[in-house]
Parts: sequence; structure tokens; C-alpha cells
Amino acid sequence: MASLLLPRLVYAMLVLFGVAIAVFFLIRIGGDPSALFLPPEASLADIARFRHQMGFDRSLTAQLLDFLGRAAQGDFGRSLRYDQPAMQLVLERMPATLQLSAVALVISIVLSVPIAILAAIHRDTLIDRGGLLVSLIGQSFPTFWLALMLILIFSEKLGLLPPSGRGTWRQLIMPAFSLAVYSTGIITRLLRSSMIEVLQSDYVRTARSKGISEWRVILVHALRNAVIPTLTVIGLQVGALLGGAVITEEIFAYPGVGRLAIQAIANRDFTIIQAFVVLMALVIVSINVLVDVGYTLLDPRLRTR
Amino acid sequence: MKRRELLPLLGLGAAAIALPAPARAQARDSVTIAQQSDAYTMDPAKHSDFPTANIMFHIYDALVTQDAKGDFQPALALSWSNPDPLTWRFKLRQGVKFHNGEEFDARAVKFTFERALDPAFKAPYYSRISAIKSVEIVDPFTVDLKTANPFPTMLWSIYEAAFPALIVPPGYVASHTPDILATAPVGTGPYRFVEWRKDDHVLLEANPDYWGGKPKIARAIFRPIKENRTRIAELRSGGIQIAPDVPPEDIASLNQGSTKVLNIASDFLYFFGFDTLKPGPLQDRRVRQALNYAVDVDAIQKALLGGLGTRIAITLPTNAFGYNPAWKPYPYDPAKAKALLAEAGFPDGFTIPLVTRQGRYLKDKEICEATIGFLRRVGVKVEARYMENGVWAQISEKHGREGLIFGGWSGRDPDLVWYPLLTTGQYQSYYSNKELDALLLQGRSTLAPEERRAIYEKAEAIIKDDAALLPMLQPPLIYGVDAKLNWQPRTDTIIDLRTAFYA
Repeated sequence: MASLLLPRLVYAMLVLFGVAIAVFFLIRIGGDPSALFLPPEASLADIARFRHQMGFDRSLTAQLLDFLGRAAQGDFGRSLRYDQPAMQLVLERMPATLQLSAVALVISIVLSVPIAILAAIHRDTLIDRGGLLVSLIGQSFPTFWLALMLILIFSEKLGLLPPSGRGTWRQLIMPAFSLAVYSTGIITRLLRSSMIEVLQSDYVRTARSKGISEWRVILVHALRNAVIPTLTVIGLQVGALLGGAVITEEIFAYPGVGRLAIQAIANRDFTIIQAFVVLMALVIVSINVLVDVGYTLLDPRLRTR
Repeated sequence: MKRRELLPLLGLGAAAIALPAPARAQARDSVTIAQQSDAYTMDPAKHSDFPTANIMFHIYDALVTQDAKGDFQPALALSWSNPDPLTWRFKLRQGVKFHNGEEFDARAVKFTFERALDPAFKAPYYSRISAIKSVEIVDPFTVDLKTANPFPTMLWSIYEAAFPALIVPPGYVASHTPDILATAPVGTGPYRFVEWRKDDHVLLEANPDYWGGKPKIARAIFRPIKENRTRIAELRSGGIQIAPDVPPEDIASLNQGSTKVLNIASDFLYFFGFDTLKPGPLQDRRVRQALNYAVDVDAIQKALLGGLGTRIAITLPTNAFGYNPAWKPYPYDPAKAKALLAEAGFPDGFTIPLVTRQGRYLKDKEICEATIGFLRRVGVKVEARYMENGVWAQISEKHGREGLIFGGWSGRDPDLVWYPLLTTGQYQSYYSNKELDALLLQGRSTLAPEERRAIYEKAEAIIKDDAALLPMLQPPLIYGVDAKLNWQPRTDTIIDLRTAFYA
């Protein structure tokens, strides 16, 4: 297990380091936030003074070294707008985003697994075509459009669900569902095709010939093997869900980290963007490591190697 | 299969139907305001943001305030006078207590301004109060604000829209860490701070001991909802009671049933500036006049803003000090515009850039597009460049705006508008006129209202005749409001719940 994890952890560190440097330079291309932050009547002298106070007039190299040095110790600096530690602002909002993404992921899996299985066993029938169509539609719906339609129908017209906020599970339904739709489409398609492949394999034929019940063949023998390639995609979808949460959170006024990030980008609030991107990279890298480990657990062949 | 796919959806709907009705038939003891963004801080001197200011104004008070008409009224100061041109003397209200029981007096005023004026404090709105050179306590309830030069617009620097002018309690700050106000605010205002769930809501409760009388609505809640449609859906379903920034096209549908629409012309100014500093056609006065004749502002106002807002004759709000109702804008006269362009040597027009931000102000892009259409009719071809806010700020700082400039400005005194926009060498100015410079300097060198009025009357004549700008209108502020809520919007966009009540 250690030989499995160690190279991956080294790789993960390199990725994080690269991401930190990339985000540092990318957000500075458009210039610093001083002029944007001060009121319109502020004089050039006011802006210059503020820039100096905030250290934005130092060389990029000096700022980069300062950032990396502090970040290595977990200090991502203070937010310009909030005047509070940037990482704390990001972490405060993480549980809301993780909850939203987790619920969306569960919805995706709960919806896509049965559809995929049914489509695969009824291959090339109306059921299969229907399943594919639905997953295609799911993948093609723009999230913001779907989100607005849900609000229009379930909040404005029917008055069934609150349009925004966080606190009750009723407030979670629409954001989680609109976030889940895209992943549902992808997972359905992939799981369906790998199920079809697996159902044609020798061991499935053997299992059937031994007289094992069809549902047991499908759910135990076939599904377990078909899930392995899908797992990678599910892992990648976690990243997509966290990214997609940015739009969903904005529309449903859901107090997650995505909204904070969008606002920070508009405000050129460098420290928040840096903390957010590095943390997201950390989450995604960790998930990739977990997926690799999950592979090994699901696939005995990888363990013996 | 399709049926199976539908099942989860139906299940979702059924589950929702089975639930008890949402708690939106609430008792009329609270009002929820949904602004575009959440508060950045609870310290009034540490931000530069109007949504935050609206929350702060309920926790804190300033020395003076404005009424619905925009006239200055006493708040923590009862009266003010000028013993000499460099002194503003304020008599303070007695018997006022901060929410923690601390007494309000001259020390609080001195502490408030000295704290925000300290360069180490890094107040973003430093420039708004920086004319105040010192604060001197005359007696426990009299305080002098001293300036280096006469400062006729002082009251604009110390009312609630000058964010660091909200009065904070010195004893409270001294007995805690210096940044205590950022998370646990204490003021003299009509509402006390209860809780701040970041990006979700700020909850305030009525202050029973408020010097202006206990507010009629027990709780005020501020929620950040950026998306217009979501805000409107919340308003319709009773989740919120005040929704600012309603698009004009939603007015009709919100003006019925349980909701209503309130609108007021803001203090904000829509106008085009001309870059007259770089060589080009805009340096010719006749060209600038021609552009003023060429744009049918009334038609733009009618078509894009539903006729709301107020047409301005000159780039100054109609409710500003010194604005003369007799002033008239350039009439729409494309023939005259063409004649002037020909006279200036451009019978076939010319091409100029237009620089602006997109989506920053109500219908800004649409108004620019309409203007471009009108200018094309007289032969002037405009190449528009829409910029992101940050890029705009960078270009502005380098004084790099060019051609036609749609920037926006506000200020209800000529000194707050014309001095920064038209004085030679000012950072926001792309115009230079020695005669006007002298007048604008005179206008800010005396406190005498009649003298200033006469000065600005002369300045207006120059600005109009030289067509220094292309004035358009004061855009409307449009609010969707619970039909039962009795509340008045203000021209400066500040939301005030002090006198709001449910009918």
C-alpha cells in the first residue's frame, strides 16, 4: 500500500505547487485591485498610497516568494475586502459546498445506475434509446437554464420549494438536482457501455450457465466489474460538481465557496482566489488518489501486481 | 424506460407536495431585504460597498442624515454652524446610548474620525473624509471638525453614505481587540446586531431604546441574492419583502397582487464624457455640440427605461445644490448636428471609440448601443469597447479612457461632480478650460450658499455652451416590495427601515 501511495503523494504535491504558481500569475494579469477597491473620487495619490500599504507595488517575484513561503505554512494572507484570513473565509464556506456536491453526487448515482443497468440489459430496445436520450438531454442542459426553470416552476408557479438559501433540506432539493443532472447523463452513458461490454464476457456466460439467477448475475458479477472504469469518471465528476456548484450557488443564493470565489474574482481579491484554487486542487488531487486506491480494492488483479 | 426516468422527478414533486406549506405566511414582525451581495464586514469604516453600507446604517448612525427628499436632517448632531470658514461645529444629541450601554458624546465623534483617518487603519473610503484635518472637543456635547480649506460639501462627508462617518463606540473598541467591530458591531442605530451567517443572512433586532423611537418592525434581515430571477421569485413567494434592482421589464408583473413596485430617480448620473485631451474631432466645440444635438435622450429614456428616471439638462442631478430648473438640455436636432459637423470640417462624419463597462449599471450597454445608433445617423461611426470592471479601473488609473466615455458619476453638489470631472488635471477629467477651472475653484473656496449658487450659474453656462459633456439622465432605482410594506426608497440608494411599517 505504501509503495502505491508514496509516488502518488509526491505527484500530488507537485501538482499543488504548480497550481499555486499558475493561479498567482493568472489573476495578476489584469492588474491589482487598488483602483477597483477605492471609491471613484479617490485621487491617484490615494490609490498609490493604498497600493503601497497593501504591498501590490512590490515586484512580482517578491510577492510570489512571499505568497509561497506563507502558503507553505498554511497562511494564505488576509482578504482585501473582508479584512479576514482568506483561507478561513474559504473553509467557512466549504461545508455548504461539500454538502451540496455530495447530495448531487448521490442523486446522480441513484438516478444513473438503474437507468444504465436497464438500458444495458435491454440493449437496442426502446428502453435503451430512451435512456440514452435522457442522458443526452441531461448532458446538454445548461445548468443555469435548468436552475432558473426549476425556480420558475417549483417556486414561482407551484410555490412548493423555497427559491434560495440554505438551512432546510427543502432548500437543497433544487440546487442539488440541477447540479446532478449533468453528471447523471455522463455516468449513465459510461456505465451503460461498460455494462454491455461486461455482459458479453465469458465469466458472465459461465455464471449464467451455472444457473445463477439473472439479477444476481447482473448486480454481482457484471456490475462490480462494470463499475471499475466508471469509478474514474465518478471521481472526475466530483471535480465537475464542485466547479458546477459555482453557478448553482450563485443562482440559488446558496452560501457556498463558489459564490465567494466568483465575487473574489470580480473584486480581484487575490488572497481568496489563491486560497480557493489551492484548496480545490487539493480536494481534486485527493479524490484522484482515493479513486486509485478504490481501484485496487475493487480489482484484485491490481493488488497482486 | 421513459416512465422510469420520470419517476424520480415525479417523486420529487410528490415529496414536495406532501410537505407542510413553507413558513412564508410569516407574522409581520420582520422585513427581509435581498441585496446583490453579502456584507464584507460589520465595521463601517472597513468597506467600500453599498450593500454593506445599507446594513451598517441600521446598526450605526451618522452625525447628520437625509430625509426622503434628500434634505439634511439632524441625527446624532442636533445642529451645526460655521464659527469660521475652516470650522464645522456640531452640537450633539444628549442621552443617546450605544447598544452596549456606553454613552454617546464628543469623544465618540473624535474617536470615530481619528480612527478612520489614521493611515495605518487603511480605510477604503479615506478620501471621502480626508478633508477633515482634525476633530476638537469643545465640550462633552460640542465638537469641531477642522479643515485646511473651506469645505462647503462637509455634510456629504459625514452622513451615512460617507461610510467611515458612522459613529462607533470608543470604550467598546478599547476594551476589546481593535477589529472587534468587524464581527461584533455596536452602534447607536435603530437595530442591534444579532447574527451574521456568512453569505446567508445578517439578522438585526429592533433597538427598544433608539433615540429616534423604536422601529415598528421587530427584525430586519439582509440576505444576499445575486440572481435577479431568484430575487423576484423570493419576493413573489413571500420569502423577502424588499428586492432592489428590479429590471424595468418586470415592473408590470410585480405591480399586482401581493407585491408592488416603487421607483425613484437616483442621484446617479448617466452621461457621456468626451476625451478632449488627445488630438481629434472631439477637441472641436462644434463637434461636441453636434453630438449633443444628435442623441434623442428622451427616446432612449422612454424605450429602455420605461420612461423612468429624470432627464438632466446638465451633468448634475436635478436635486443637487445649485441646480436651476430653468436650465434646458440640448434639444434633439439631427439636422443641426449635421450642419455643425460640416462646419467643423466633418461633412462625412468620423470614427471614434467608446469606452465603458458592461452590466455595471441598469441598461448601460443598451443605452450605449442606442446612442451609437443615433450618432450613426449623423455620420459618426462609434467603435464600442465594453470592459470588465477591473480592466476599466486599470485604464482609468492610467488616464487611458478615450473617445466617448460612459462612466457614470454621482454627487449632489456641483463641487462633487464638476470639480473632479472637468477641472484641468484631475484624474477623472478629460477636459480643460481655464475659465471654468477658476470658477470651480472659487465654488469650493467659500461656504456662502448664495455666492456659490451664482458661481455655479456661470459655470453651467460655460459647460453647456462648450458642450463639455453629453448629459443624459438620472436612472431610476426600482424596488419590488411587499404590497403591505410601507417604506420609501431614497435617491442615494441607501435603504432606511427606521420608519418602515406594515399596513
